[in-house]
Amino acid sequence: MSGLEGIPIHIQTAPHAGANAQAILAELETALQALLDTGKEHSIDLRSLPLLPGELDYLQHTLGTGEVRVEIDALGKSDVRETAYRGVWWVAHYNTLDEVMAEFIEVSFCPDIVRAQRDDVRESLDALSARLAGNEE
Amino acid sequence: MSRRPTVAEQLARQGVSRRAFLKFCAAAASLMALPPSMAPAIAEALGKLRRPSVIWLSFQECTGCTESLTRSHTPTVESLIFDMISLDYHHTLQAAAGTAAEQAREDAMKEAGYLVLVDGSIPTRDGGIYSTIAGVTNLQMLKDALANAAAVVSIGTCAAYGGIPKADPNPTGAKSVQALMDEGLVPRKPVINVPGCPPIPTVITGVLAHYLTFGEIPELDSLGRPTMFYGDSIHDRCYRRPFYDQGMFAKTFDDEGARKGWCLFELGCKGPTTHNACATTKWNNGTSFPIESGHGCIGCSEPDFWDAGSFYTALSAPADPLTLATSATVAGAAIGVGMSFVNRAKKGAAKSGHETATLKDLEK
Amino acid sequence: MNEVELLNWVRGPGLNIAIGIFLLGTIWRLFEIYSLGRKKDLSAPRHTAGASGWNTIARRSLAPPGMLKRSPISYIGGYVFHVGLAIVVFLFAPHIELIENLFGLSWPALPSQVVDLATVVTLAAMVLVLVDRINKPVKRYLSTVEDYFTWAVTFLPVLTGYMAVKHLLLPYTTMLALHILSVEILLVVLPFTKLFHVFTLFMSRWYNGQANAHKGVPV
Repeated sequence: MSGLEGIPIHIQTAPHAGANAQAILAELETALQALLDTGKEHSIDLRSLPLLPGELDYLQHTLGTGEVRVEIDALGKSDVRETAYRGVWWVAHYNTLDEVMAEFIEVSFCPDIVRAQRDDVRESLDALSARLAGNEE
Repeated sequence: MSRRPTVAEQLARQGVSRRAFLKFCAAAASLMALPPSMAPAIAEALGKLRRPSVIWLSFQECTGCTESLTRSHTPTVESLIFDMISLDYHHTLQAAAGTAAEQAREDAMKEAGYLVLVDGSIPTRDGGIYSTIAGVTNLQMLKDALANAAAVVSIGTCAAYGGIPKADPNPTGAKSVQALMDEGLVPRKPVINVPGCPPIPTVITGVLAHYLTFGEIPELDSLGRPTMFYGDSIHDRCYRRPFYDQGMFAKTFDDEGARKGWCLFELGCKGPTTHNACATTKWNNGTSFPIESGHGCIGCSEPDFWDAGSFYTALSAPADPLTLATSATVAGAAIGVGMSFVNRAKKGAAKSGHETATLKDLEK
Repeated sequence: MNEVELLNWVRGPGLNIAIGIFLLGTIWRLFEIYSLGRKKDLSAPRHTAGASGWNTIARRSLAPPGMLKRSPISYIGGYVFHVGLAIVVFLFAPHIELIENLFGLSWPALPSQVVDLATVVTLAAMVLVLVDRINKPVKRYLSTVEDYFTWAVTFLPVLTGYMAVKHLLLPYTTMLALHILSVEILLVVLPFTKLFHVFTLFMSRWYNGQANAHKGVPV
């Protein structure tokens, strides 16, 4: 899989190159406005779009790199990066073989996946309480 | 009835956190071509789901569909899905188990409500003797398996539409699962067709995940395919579509147009009439799909794609050579000449039968 | 029969049969018509300026003086839909591909947006011409079933082709199959109806012009 970069493929894009990427940027603009107005979060599945060769790179380049980068280790890695546009996050889920399973652009104050989940917190509380009560082992 | 554990219980037992489960559900939503906002609904549904039993029947096929699935590129999601189901019988994968595998199949069939997956078409000529497993014809085995089944998923073009075994002249009388039901040869059950030669692995698992998660048949098109994956034609989703609209076509596989990635319509691309997810889901870990690699679509997810003329003949060109043209021209010329003689004879007869009118005649 | 089987049939055996009947009928009628002959005109030919077969072909291709005002829809609408048909049939890329496949001839195509526009204009002109035929009492009186039939078999291929490209009403595959089927119907009936003017139009204009020129009358 990693050998592809070694092949000098010259990708020529279609006459309207970047139209899909432009549409995504416009969607993000609307989503950011909605986040500010109503707090509604938004998510775009990059796998379900017929992106032209090179458009994903263009999108990544345009959105840039922001301040936050979170690495999650759950059923393989997940990479959550804030883009230069704050509130716009690039979320990539990898499997245990480090292959991309799903890739999203999310618009939120903080992606849900980063937060500790309520049920997990409750379990942690139980575990910690049990430990303090000297019940463990 | 033994109580099967729910998927959530299964995962908790494996030490999987809610966060990991949420990630899995996000990936599953993407897999099922659902909007990312559906992830919580998936999580809720999966939390309640009990592992259903699945029987996989391989009939007149090349094992390409099984290859496609077992070599699929997202092991975590697929393996989780296969953790969700109880795959009780798959004769290709269980060949070494011999009679024990056949016993497992018969045991699984005792409890109604299982899912049957079929790959390969079913031969019907001469009593179906052209393909048998452990001495049982495919037709008989399908009939037995469908009796107590909840639904059947036809995986691959052979199971869905007959595929290559059914191609002209179809020596084994091969038929699709749906065709057998329509003819009343096997019990009628809901059918989901997942065609392709082979189908995209993530489409197979996506369809299974949808059925298992929501416990219902997804929305299907007129050919029984889930619209979430087969709703658009390749042409409509193709990144080369703008070239088609501009009339920029590759004329050969190595000309300037081909090198520049122009539309492959004239080289026989069947994208406009083919419904599949290749242009968006792509193959080999999202690397590319045939058109992106410079070859036209061959339409493998459509019925009778093998008999639809050459893969390299444009869709608007004749599928077969025009065998009647020469004889029709000759026959037309012959009739034309014949008619001209008839007409001349008529004219001649009229001329010779002509009588000169005299004043006397007019006064009559 | 599902839509793919229908498409395979119209692209294969259907097309074969349709082109067979078309060739048979066309050759037959051409032979028959041109072998009829006419009696030799033994009178001494007169010579008048502007009286010849070629002159008539040119003259009859334009509206007679005053007629354009009296019947604008017939002339303008008629011209527009004939030119439109020519653009749609001969300058749409998939059609050129078919012609190249049949005869080995090929030429550049127009962008599909231009062909789209030509199609809409053609359809509009054809509807206008039909409405005019029904509305004008004289035209309606002169019209026979064949007139409406030939209009329909010409209109349907354009309509189904447009609907296929634009994904209207039915899935593309079904519509494409219906489009090809409608063209096959057109091919089959063309030699045996007034649509045969495709082949005879200019010959008969020339013939009439030439026959009358002999008498010194420019028609």
